[in-house]
Formats: sequence, structure tokens, C-alpha cells
Amino acid sequence: MISFQKKELIIPYIILFIMMFLSVYPLLYMISVSLMTSGEASNQYLLPKVPKFDNYIEVWTSNNFQQYTINSIIISGLIVIGVLFTSIPAAYAFAKIQFPFRDVIFYSLLLSLMIPEIIALLPHLLIIRGNIFPLPFGPSWMNSLQGLTVPFFGNIFIIFLLRQYIKKIPNELWDAARMDGASHLYFLRKVVIPMSMPIIVTVSLFAFILAWNSFAWPLLILTKEDWFPVTVSIYSFIREAGTQYNLLMAASLISIFPVLLLYFFTQRLFLESISNFGLKQ
Amino acid sequence: MSKFFNKYSEQINGYLFIFPAFLIIGLFGIFPVFFGMYMSVHKWKVFKGRFLGFENYQKILGDIGSFWIFILGLLIMIASYWVWSEFKDRMKRRIYCFIISILLLVISLYLINVSWATMMQTGDEDFLNSLIYIFYYSFFAITTEVGLGLLIAFALYQKLKGKQFFQMILLFPYITPAVMGGAVFFIIFGKAENSILNEFIGLFGYDPQLWLFDKRKITEILFDVKIDGFFAGPSLALLTSILYGVWSYTGYYAIILLAGLSIIPSDLYEAAKAEGASRWQTFIKITVPLLMPIIFFLLLTGFINSFQAFNHIMVMKTSSAGETMDVVTIEIFDHFWDRVKFGYAAAEGVVLFIILNVLAISQYVIFRKRLNYD
Repeated sequence: MISFQKKELIIPYIILFIMMFLSVYPLLYMISVSLMTSGEASNQYLLPKVPKFDNYIEVWTSNNFQQYTINSIIISGLIVIGVLFTSIPAAYAFAKIQFPFRDVIFYSLLLSLMIPEIIALLPHLLIIRGNIFPLPFGPSWMNSLQGLTVPFFGNIFIIFLLRQYIKKIPNELWDAARMDGASHLYFLRKVVIPMSMPIIVTVSLFAFILAWNSFAWPLLILTKEDWFPVTVSIYSFIREAGTQYNLLMAASLISIFPVLLLYFFTQRLFLESISNFGLKQ
Repeated sequence: MSKFFNKYSEQINGYLFIFPAFLIIGLFGIFPVFFGMYMSVHKWKVFKGRFLGFENYQKILGDIGSFWIFILGLLIMIASYWVWSEFKDRMKRRIYCFIISILLLVISLYLINVSWATMMQTGDEDFLNSLIYIFYYSFFAITTEVGLGLLIAFALYQKLKGKQFFQMILLFPYITPAVMGGAVFFIIFGKAENSILNEFIGLFGYDPQLWLFDKRKITEILFDVKIDGFFAGPSLALLTSILYGVWSYTGYYAIILLAGLSIIPSDLYEAAKAEGASRWQTFIKITVPLLMPIIFFLLLTGFINSFQAFNHIMVMKTSSAGETMDVVTIEIFDHFWDRVKFGYAAAEGVVLFIILNVLAISQYVIFRKRLNYD
């Protein structure tokens, strides 16, 4: 181990404090602006003279913002459920069940990570409009919940993370369960899922944040405001002429809040999986 | 019947378990590439039109041959690295190996330069410029992110109090949604002369800047020289969006690099200590060489991933910055969203896809012998 003397620890601390300040500064500024009057905000004050908490109420009760937040929660929640529903069995099968072409299928699915989202957007749009083949629920999924969520129900990245974890579960457990006449599904539900809870929580968080951030896709398929998520509503807020920055920041803060809250509860797992995964991409 | 099920139960279970995921990923993850290629050879505005062949590509690249020469140039550049890394230890005279790889590098630069100039003259200038802009974005963002990340990782690696807390805060920007983060940056980097940022740089004697509203090239602002072409650098507006990228990813890379630091076996350090190596020697002889593969790997994967930057640039784009912030993703999105040229946009997407794949090949070539010490 390289270890510094007490005195020499000062430099690392200084570096960390500067970096930490830069990391949180935009967020602090967001809070500060969200409490200003619109005059203070457009004059770029550092701090409001009197904190104006009314901004939050004004944003929350106006412009359908409540509706947008609820939309975002529904969309992201549904995507998390959908992703877990498809990914857990798939990850289990890729890790523990022997069947022909298993690895070929897995690696060819992994290749889809190479495809930039922007290229996929166009064909997605045509699928959603029902131009390529008929869709199960309704002729077109434009402006609909299924159009916003179903394309994100499969995620090879999440399958990959789950598979890494499930692989570590000893095979003897399955052998013993099979002796007792358990099926794969039963074993998955009663043993694998409870044992993999930490990684399931982490990937749910990943999936939720990813879904909460999704922007280009909703912007593309929503022509009416009914299903606007917060990201799109904030974008159109910025693009309006004469935007009141204090309200914009209040709205942004409200819509970051759920993500921050989830992060606080799961940060240890989150940190671990980033350090593990980053090196093995 | 039940005999059949019993015999093949493993297989049936396996396929059933992967089916839902396979269906969705196949449909929305893999199929789009092929369909995009199909669209790119048609006239396609909202609905499919007549078959065009390579006309769209012709319009984008000017001369398709030049594009392949450009790609060839990139591949030769990778080959020059390959020659160096593969043969430098095998040959008796290292100098020959060096000369060959330098020669290849020069050839590749020449090919890239010439083919690019031809494309610029005859092709879609906006699209080609957008590729240059995304190159600036990715290059400057990823080098700064990994550089700063390294600094933070070294700092965190010392036995500090509150390491967990620092890590938590540093990862904050990474989880902040890009649209909302972009919204704050939009205000901080606004054009107001008395903004906090402008007051701050005023302390160091700089004039207030227009930041996101400034389309002047960075070389023009810093050195007061007007250059055209590639070496002019990004505009101030684009540079601001690079700063956003740096803000949001530095902590992420710091955490990964920290993990990389901590898997270096500690007995190596102990051995070095026993031999009487100074801390500086240990750092240069052990830490850096062992960390190098990870740094390279992060630089390259990060570079490729940055090509997809979209959300925050879309949010921070201003009309006064003109087209200098239209990186390739924005350009493609613009073509099929605003201008409804589906076939054309698809062709642009395919071009981007080809370039990304070449970069991925370089990743494979460089990391085929990855150092394993875990």
C-alpha cells in the first residue's frame, strides 16, 4: 500500500473537496435559483434574499406538472417491472440451463449494445406506428403507454449483470432441488430470486434511472401532452420564450427528487456494481 | 408426449425462459439495424417511396469511394499500432518495427486527410462537420474525464476518512438526469454578463463570455487567430457541452479507476518496499504500468460511448450557437424529426454505424491480450 504521512494527506483532501464542490455545485445552484423570485433568477443572483417556497407549489399545481410526474412514475415503474420479468428468467437460463446455441444467442444479443440508440430510433418509430407489421394492442402505439414502455422491456445489459451474479450460485443447490422434484421455475422463484436480491435491486435502480432519463424516444412518439414524461415537459419549458428560470429550476428539482431518493437508499450496491462492472465490460 | 417433454425439458425450459427477452431485444435491438439499411436505399418520407440505390449515400458522402478510402485509412492506423505492439519484442532490432509502424501511420494519415477533403468538397457538409464535432466532443470529454478521474482515484486510494461519503457525492452528477442537469447548465452558462460564472472568470481578469450562445471557435477566443477546418477546435458552445459531459462522468470513471487501483495485489507493494523502493519508484514502476490497460480500455470504450451523446446537447442547444453544436446524433435526429427525411437519416445512421464498428475493431485489436491479474 502506498500510504502518505498525515501531513501529506492534505493534498488528497484538497483535491477531493474541490471535486466534490464542483460535483454538487450545479445542484446547489438549482436549489438556490428555485427559491428566488423571477427577477432575482434572471439577474443571476447567487442566493435569494428571502427563500420563496411558493415556487414549488406554483410549479406543482400548474401546467399539468403533477400529471407529468405521475406519467414518469408510471412509465418508469412499468419498464422496471417489464425488464425484470423478461430479464430474470433469461439471465437464469443463460447462466444455469444447458440448451443448444445458448452462448451463440447470448453473445449475438450482446452485440446489440454496439448499436447506437439514434440508429434504432427510426425503425422503432415505424414499428410503433404499425407500418412494418400489425401490433397487438391497437393499430398504432403513437401517444400510448405501450409505445413508451414495451420497446424497453428487453435489456441485454441488465441480463448480463444478472447472469454474472446468478452464475455464482452453486450448481449443487439445483441438483439437490431436482432430486426433490423441483422444476426450473420453482427453483428460480424459491431459491435464485431470493439469493439474487442485491443485484435485482441494483438493476431495478439502473432500469428506473434509465427510464426516468429517457428523452429522445418520448419526444419522438408523443404528439399530445397526455403521456408527457417530466423530461419532455422540462425540455419544452426551456424552449419556451421568456422562461422563468426560478420555476424551471423548481420543476427540475422536483423531477430529480425521485431518482436522488432511490440513489440514497441503494448507493452502496450501486457503487459496488459500478466498480465491478466497469472493469469487465 | 410426456416422454418427449421429459427428455427435452432442459431445452424447452431454456428456450421458454429466454423467449420474452429474445423477442423484445431482437425486435427493438437488432432488427432496427437491418431495417435501417433497407430504409437507407429508398426514398422514404414518412412512407416508403421508390428504390434509390446508393443515392442517399452519394449525397451524404459526395463520393462513396472516398469514404471507403477513409475507412481504409482508419484500419491502417489500427494496423500501425498492431505492428508495433505485436513485433516490438520479437524482433531483434526494434528500430525496423518502429519504422514500419511510423510508415503505416503516415500513410493512414495521408489517406484520411485526402479522402476527407474530397468528401468535404462534394458531400453533405453539415453531416461531415457533425462528425468532426462529435469527435471533438468525445475526444476532449473522455480524456478530461479519465484524467480527472485518475486524480480523484489516487486521492481516494489514500486511507482517508469518509471515503464512502466522497464516493457517494462524486457519483451524484452521474445519476442526475441529463435533461434536468442540462437545464441548470443552461442557466449557469447563460449569456448574462453578470452571471456568476462570468463574475468568477472576471476575478482572473477575463472578459465575460457568451458560453452556450457563442459560436466562435475556441482557438479564436483564446489566441485570437482565425483558423478554418479541423484544427480550429470546438466552438465555445460545444466546449460548454463538453464540460457537461466531464461534470457528469468524471465521478463514474473515478470509481472504476479506484476499483482498478485496489485490485493491484498488495504483495507487489510489499515486495517493492522490502527491496527498498521509494514511493515514487513504486508508483512509476508498479502502479502506472498495471493501471495502464484499464486507462486505455476506459479511454477507448468511453470514446465510442460518447459518440452517442444526445440528451444534454439537445437541451443546451441554442440558436445563436448555430450548427456548431449539431453533433452527429443531433444532426440525424433533426433530419428525420424536423425535416422528415427518413431514408436520408437512415443512411446517415448507417455511416455512423460503420465508423463505430471500425472503432470497435480497434478496441478488439488493442485489448486482445488484456492483462489479467484478478
